[in-house]
Amino acid sequence: MEKGGSESSLPCARCGKPAQLQCPKCVELKLPRENAAFCTQDCFRTAWSSHKSVHPKPNALASQQFPEGWRYCLKRGRVRSSQLPRFDWTGPLRPYPISPMRVVPDEIEKPDWALDGIPKIEPDSDLQKRVEIKSPELIERMRETCRIAREVLDAAARVIKPGITTDEIDRVVHEETIARGGYPSPLNYHFFPKSCCTSVNEIICHGIPDARKLEDGDIVNVDVTVYYKGVHGDLNETYFVGNVDEASKQLVRCTYECLEKAIAIVKPGVRFREVGEIINRHASMSGLSVVKSYCGHGIGELFHCAPNIPHYSRNKAVGIMKAGQTFTIEPMINAGVWNDRLWPDDWTAVTADGKRSAQFEHTLLVTDTGCEVLTARLPSSPDVFPWLKP
Amino acid sequence: MEDDDDCPPVAVDLPPLATSPPATSSSDVSPVGVTVITGYLGAGKSTLVNYILNEQHGKRIAVILNEFGEEIGVERAMINEGQGGALVEEWVELANGCVCCSVKHSLVQALEQLVQRKDRMDHILLETTGLADPAPLVSVLWLDDQLESSIRLDSIITVIDAKNFRVQIDEHKNSSSFPEAFHQIAFADVVILNKIDLVKDNLEELEKHIHDANALVTVVRSVRCHVDLNEVFNRQAYGAKNSSHLQDLLDYSKSVPPSLRHDNSISTLCIYEQDPVHLAKVESWLEDLLWENKSSMDIYRCKGILHIHDSDQIHTLQAVREVYEVVPARKWAEAESRMNKIVVIGRNLDIDVLQNSFSGCKS
Repeated sequence: MEKGGSESSLPCARCGKPAQLQCPKCVELKLPRENAAFCTQDCFRTAWSSHKSVHPKPNALASQQFPEGWRYCLKRGRVRSSQLPRFDWTGPLRPYPISPMRVVPDEIEKPDWALDGIPKIEPDSDLQKRVEIKSPELIERMRETCRIAREVLDAAARVIKPGITTDEIDRVVHEETIARGGYPSPLNYHFFPKSCCTSVNEIICHGIPDARKLEDGDIVNVDVTVYYKGVHGDLNETYFVGNVDEASKQLVRCTYECLEKAIAIVKPGVRFREVGEIINRHASMSGLSVVKSYCGHGIGELFHCAPNIPHYSRNKAVGIMKAGQTFTIEPMINAGVWNDRLWPDDWTAVTADGKRSAQFEHTLLVTDTGCEVLTARLPSSPDVFPWLKP
Repeated sequence: MEDDDDCPPVAVDLPPLATSPPATSSSDVSPVGVTVITGYLGAGKSTLVNYILNEQHGKRIAVILNEFGEEIGVERAMINEGQGGALVEEWVELANGCVCCSVKHSLVQALEQLVQRKDRMDHILLETTGLADPAPLVSVLWLDDQLESSIRLDSIITVIDAKNFRVQIDEHKNSSSFPEAFHQIAFADVVILNKIDLVKDNLEELEKHIHDANALVTVVRSVRCHVDLNEVFNRQAYGAKNSSHLQDLLDYSKSVPPSLRHDNSISTLCIYEQDPVHLAKVESWLEDLLWENKSSMDIYRCKGILHIHDSDQIHTLQAVREVYEVVPARKWAEAESRMNKIVVIGRNLDIDVLQNSFSGCKS
């Protein structure tokens, strides 16, 4: 405990004198104490007419009139609500209602969670403990699926601009995936309600596409996984929406570089734990921090399997890379602290300090001499990253 | 609709700032120790748990009965509220999320939630049912320091029924199999040798059998699992910088004569090397042994101290199955003679192979 920390040093939100009291409404709504502290009842009463504007109006969002059937997502996707849940939101972003579940045509081959939300083969597979060496035939299927996943992500990237909702991005991902004969792997995976993850600003990962319109200056990550011919291909990128401030550009570029530098060391004989050392070194040099709660993973016939690849340094990850293995590396880099919190939907991971977070991901194949980026950009990929321009 | 908001409510007391947000405060508080209790049915695990829950020891201890491997579900946690001795039940939900892209297993997340919900918790006991191999559970609970978790793996306790153990050993003499209990002994930091009142003779010999398998384990004798809780809790068996464990290793001598059994039983060996070694070579050596299974040896645990080239720090080594860690612990003291010493517990161990291959790390 800090010395003198037991003494309240918050100033009154109105006059700046040491505060002894706080607004009860702010306590109820779990709003930040900084704007809720007052020195006396008088000062609080005087400030009330302007102070009350910090309380979000309960029906402010409802009054925006969302289409019939759109609800807030709760409990990992198993519950819907018409009310915005209460939470001590860490930044300015709030969840919006989500659209009803999208349908996948019957003829498309589906993973075992598509119907009831529960993966059955994946959790008990011995591939959670052992890193598979893929056969050439399996690798060929992975190439195909990863190529489709790349095309789907590129299609999503092309529609990103201020004013479109993340639900609209999800619609594009969903339709482009099934148009190519694939199933959007996230859909109903452990009850995840949508076909991709869209993570805006302070969302680290697993953001649920909803009715929020992208605003000029936002950054948004789109994470796509496609299931096709019995295998998964997984990638994500973070995009700029309109004109983005310099700090966000730096954050996104550094995150891109973290992934590039990590990919550069991948080859047979390298320890999985080295990946975290490389990423941590590059992020800390730029004064940014590495998210520790989520990691890269093995992928193939299973969406998530061994190995676990942490992105932070000094981890005890087991194992050495071998030719024929496929896995993702997907660093999440924060502008502020590394710590994450979970929204009441139990999916959306946000930064604990509300500052922005970026992420990039590829599915990789270890080859005899290095690695093949199975989800690599194509000549047709949209030209959205200034640092890639010739 | 402004009507509610028009008249200001009465402002309430502002509590002192010391209560900072949970994300930052959790790292300031030392993490709560988790002790895993293993032992076969009837050995006395439940007796130990009941004793801990009902005894007036002033500690606030949560007991969780966990069927490890059963991912989905709600676990019942019993909490001894301390002074009053009142028992409280809490339900801990094991989130059935996508475990794989999350670094922390759902069990760890559930334990962290339990710690967060309670304003004070002194210790957590995890009673596992019939867990033959504790290693997977250890690899889940032995978290990277970097994660700054509110829990930490403290130790593994194995409860053994002294009478039944005696019978098992006698049977073992006439067969090639080894008593199953040895598997749990190999991973244990503490063995509670229970029901000693039912074994009249030769407890020393029973203890010797235990120490032959695991020379590092602390044996605590008990009747009806009445043990000194200070002796079994807060062992910090997985703390790389724990000074008493470091001292134990420095003092550890090969006085335990490996009776040179080349059978398939579990035993403890000690690799000793005076000259400094290269850290990178030690890591490769360990990885060949633990990850690549290049020998027929089956290594369960290693604990050791290393004398690293060009370093004035004692490095500690710890491994459970394939998970290992080598970290600098403190400076070598002037008076200390620098050396490498690695205690290895496992099956089919070959001291010559281990010693010779380790010596290769010198240059």
